[in-house]
Amino acid sequence: MEALKVGRPSPAARPLPWLGVAAVGLGFALLALFIWSWWDRSDLAGTGQKLLILAGFAAAAYGVARVANFLAAVRTGPLVGFIPAGLTLALVLLTVEALLRAYQVPAGLIPTPTRVFATLWAVRDVLLQDAYQTVVLEAFTGYLVGCGLGVATALLVSRFVFLERGFLPYATAFSSIPIVALAPVLVKMMGLEWPSKAAIVAITVFFPVVVNTFRGLTEVSPLSLDLMRSYAAGEAQQYRWLRVPNALPFIFNALKLGTTLAMIGSIVGEFFGANGQGLGFRIQIEAGRFGFDIVWSAIIVASVIGIAWYGLVAWLERRLTGWHVSFRE
Amino acid sequence: MLSRLRSPNLVPMLAVALVIAALYYPLMLLANVPVAQRALDSGAALPCGSALECATQLRSPVLPSPQQLWTGFANLLFPLGSPNAIPRNAAVTALETLVGLALAAVVGFFFAIGIVASRAFERSLLPWIVASQTVPIIAIAPMLVVLLGQYGVQGWIPKAIIAAYIAFFPIAIGVAKGLRSPDPLSLDLMKTYNASSWQTYLKLRFPASLPYLFTAFKVAMTAALIGAIVAEISTISFQGIGKMLAENSRASDVVATWVIMIASAVLGILLVALVGWLEKVVTPWKR
Repeated sequence: MEALKVGRPSPAARPLPWLGVAAVGLGFALLALFIWSWWDRSDLAGTGQKLLILAGFAAAAYGVARVANFLAAVRTGPLVGFIPAGLTLALVLLTVEALLRAYQVPAGLIPTPTRVFATLWAVRDVLLQDAYQTVVLEAFTGYLVGCGLGVATALLVSRFVFLERGFLPYATAFSSIPIVALAPVLVKMMGLEWPSKAAIVAITVFFPVVVNTFRGLTEVSPLSLDLMRSYAAGEAQQYRWLRVPNALPFIFNALKLGTTLAMIGSIVGEFFGANGQGLGFRIQIEAGRFGFDIVWSAIIVASVIGIAWYGLVAWLERRLTGWHVSFRE
Repeated sequence: MLSRLRSPNLVPMLAVALVIAALYYPLMLLANVPVAQRALDSGAALPCGSALECATQLRSPVLPSPQQLWTGFANLLFPLGSPNAIPRNAAVTALETLVGLALAAVVGFFFAIGIVASRAFERSLLPWIVASQTVPIIAIAPMLVVLLGQYGVQGWIPKAIIAAYIAFFPIAIGVAKGLRSPDPLSLDLMKTYNASSWQTYLKLRFPASLPYLFTAFKVAMTAALIGAIVAEISTISFQGIGKMLAENSRASDVVATWVIMIASAVLGILLVALVGWLEKVVTPWKR
C-alpha cells in the first residue's frame, strides 16, 4: 500500500485535528493542575488525584497521537515536524513530575524534573568547569588525534595490500573490545590528569575511523578507476580526484559515530580516576552519595553537548558532501 | 575452519603480529628503564642490580614485560573455578551480557514494529531514540544500579538490565531498517495474494530483517558487554570482570589490570564471533 501512495497532500488539503489539539491542551492542563495543587504537600495523593493524573495522561497521549498522525500525513518543514517529539517530551516530563509528587518518592531516590532543572541552574558553574575538562580537554583532543591518525592509517593501508591483509583484520577485531577495560590500564600508565582520558578517546575513535575510511577509499567503482587510468592519472591524482572524495561520506559516518564514542570514552575513563574534575567524575561521586539531582544535571549537560557535537559534524557533512546520493531528495 | 586457515590474510597477519612482538620488548625497556632508575636512585630495596635488569620486574611498570604478563595470566587463570580467577568472572559477565542482549532484542523488536507500523509513533519517539544514541548513555549506569538496588533488585539482574538498556537502541534502529527493507515489488506481491498485514510481517518483513538484525546484534553485543562491565564497576558486586577491574585498579596491581584487559578483549571478540556464527546458522542463504 505504501508503494501505491504517490505524494502527500499539502496541509491545506486536510482540516486541522482540532480534537487532538484540544485533548493535548486538556491533558496538559489536568497534569499541571495536579502538580500545582500538590506543590507544597508532602502526603500521598488519594485515589481521585491518581485518577486525575491518569485521565490527564490518557487525554494528552491520545491528543499527541492524533496530532502526530496528522503531521505524518502532510508535508512539513523540520521545525513543524519536530512538534510531535516535543509534545512527547513535555508529556513524559509532566507525567513523571506528577507521579513522583503523587507517590512522594524521596528526592534522594528519583528527583522530580523541576528539581533537576533547579539544581542544574544552581550548580551551572561547577558543571561548566567539568564539561570543559571532559569535553574540550579530553574528548575533543582525543577525538582530533584519533581521527587524524585513523585517516592517515587508512590511507597507508589502502595503498599497500600487505598492510590491508595484515593490519585490517586486527582493526576489525579491536572494534569488538569493551573500551572500559582499557581505561584502568591507561589511567595507571599516564596518570590522573586529562591526557590519560584523551588517550582512551583517541584509541576508541581510531579503529572505526580506520575501518570506515578504508572502505571508502577502496569501494571505488571500477569504471571510474578505468577512467582515471585512461587519463594516465598518477597515484596521487587518483587519490586526490577519486578515492578521497569517494571516501568522504564513509569518513563522516565514522566521525559521527566517533562523537558518541568520544563522550563515552572520556566519561568512563573518569570513573577510574580523575583529578577532581570532569562530568564522569561528578556522576560517579554524586551517584555514590545519592545526589541524583546533580547526576541528572551532569547527564543533561553531557547529552546536550553530545547532541550539539553530533549536529556540528552532521552540518559539516552536509556542507562538504552535499553532492552525495544520501542527501538527494 | 580449514578454509579460514588458508586465507590470504594469514601470512601478513602473522608478520604484523611478529613485528609488533619484536618491537614490544625494546619499547617496554625504553619505557620502564627511567622508572627503574628513579626507583634505584631513591634507594628502594630491589632484588636487582642495574636499571636494565629492574625494568622487567617493576611492581607498577609503564608497560609490563612478557614474563610478568605470563605469570599474571598463570596467577589469574587458575584455579579455573576460583571466585578470584578470570574464567568464572568472565562467565558471569558473559551471562549478564547475553541475558541483557536477549532482553534488548525483545524490547527492541517491539519498538521496531511500532516504528514501522505507525508513523505517529515514529514521529513522536524516533527523534528521542536517535538523540539518545548521541548521548553518553553509559553515564546513567551508576545511577540505575543504585536505584534498582533500592527496590531490591540485586545480584546479576541489574547488570543485565543495564546491558539491555544500552544494547536496546542499536537493535531497535537496525530491526526497523530491516523491516522496511523489502522492496515495493515484494510488498505489492503480498497485496496481490491478499495477505493480511500480519502475514506480510511473518512471511516477508521478518525474514527480510534478519541480516539487519545480526548486524545490529554485533554492535549491540559490544555495547551490552560495556554496559555489564560498567554496571559491575559502579556497584558493590562480588563477581564479574568489572569487579576484578575495579579491585585490581584500586589495589594498583598494574600487571593484573593488563591481564584483565586482554581477557575482556578476548571475551568481547568471542561474544561477537558467537553472533557471527549464529548468523551463519540462521541465515544460510546469505553467503
